[in-house]
Amino acid sequence: MSSAIQRGFLPSPEPGRQLFSDLPPEAAKDFDQIKSLASFPRGTVLFREGEWAGRVMVLCRGRVKLSVCSESGQRLTLHVAGPGEVLGLSAALTRSAHEMTAEVLDNAQVAMVERADLLPFLRDHRQVCLQAAKLLSQDLHQAYERVRTVGLMRTRRPRVHTH
Amino acid sequence: MLSPYGLDIIESCLTCKARSDRMFCDLQPSALQAFEAIKYATAYPKGAVLFVEGQAPRGIFVLCKGRVKLSICATDGKTLIVRIAEPGEVLGLSATVSGKPYELTAETLDPCQVNFAKRDDFLRFLREHSDACFKVAEQLSEKYNTACHEVRSLGLSHSAGEKLARLLLEWTSRNGEANRQEPRVKLALTHEEIAQMIGTSRETVTRLIGDLKRREIVQTKGSTLIIRNKSALKVMASSN
Repeated sequence: MSSAIQRGFLPSPEPGRQLFSDLPPEAAKDFDQIKSLASFPRGTVLFREGEWAGRVMVLCRGRVKLSVCSESGQRLTLHVAGPGEVLGLSAALTRSAHEMTAEVLDNAQVAMVERADLLPFLRDHRQVCLQAAKLLSQDLHQAYERVRTVGLMRTRRPRVHTH
Repeated sequence: MLSPYGLDIIESCLTCKARSDRMFCDLQPSALQAFEAIKYATAYPKGAVLFVEGQAPRGIFVLCKGRVKLSICATDGKTLIVRIAEPGEVLGLSATVSGKPYELTAETLDPCQVNFAKRDDFLRFLREHSDACFKVAEQLSEKYNTACHEVRSLGLSHSAGEKLARLLLEWTSRNGEANRQEPRVKLALTHEEIAQMIGTSRETVTRLIGDLKRREIVQTKGSTLIIRNKSALKVMASSN
């Protein structure tokens, strides 16, 4: 797996969600130049809500929980990312803080790309940029589904029984 | 040129004065000319529906003037307003790019000018102009960040009072009033629409705003809401 990753082959996530796997040869060569690999044990926080997004991560192996947190510490899980998925892309593209926390659920291997390298890479490789837009569209679709479920859930107050 | 809805229609993106302030519109000249060739400038009155949740994507709608309400509807008819779109925003973008149905319903709150581009034309435009493609990715990223923020706000707020307080504070951030001692918010929505933004009833919003006034946390002057006690509102926004 490691040598495959070194050659620029990243695991493919579910259809339609790939961004950096199956790159055209020229883009794969450029991507190899800008990525670095790292391993993280279970429980590692890859990035926290509110932290400035300095890099994008491609999950090569393992699973990562993406969640949001209230001031009181209550946590809501948004998504569990699997191999091939890209983490932190929206924050990196908007040069803003992460909107969620990413915590490793299983021992993970990650390919990292600094934002300063990612943005020119996307500008230089139009097909990859278009694929990034498609991926973000799907993420947004999922986020709106989440908005629907949490926002339109009926809350039930416990009944007060008077005997 | 004035439209029937009193709008001063911007005929060409190339001469639009607001272009440089808007993320998607600030394209390089060649991309702008290409977009000019595929867009249709249209005016809509207040209350017009641009697209409906679940509809197959026809294309994108660049909002040039006016405001548009973006909402989600439950099967029982309950509506949640996700966001109010402002000029410069590209509506229907994620559906057009992904090919999935529109996730939201878009209804004009004011007379609006919209530049519509058909899906096939827009996707071809993106394939041919990397600058535009990058701006689309940026705008989708912003929308995604906002949606996550919305999930946090709706999913982790315990009471309607907390959600209302968060919403008022968010509005003061967006209109640049947040640092003022007594920030002001223009209440451009009805109590019913505010209720739809925070997933509660119109009666609850009316009661809560009345309560905030009685406690002198807010004061209203016409359609302007003045936050008299910012600290108290912040405590409400983060209470369990």
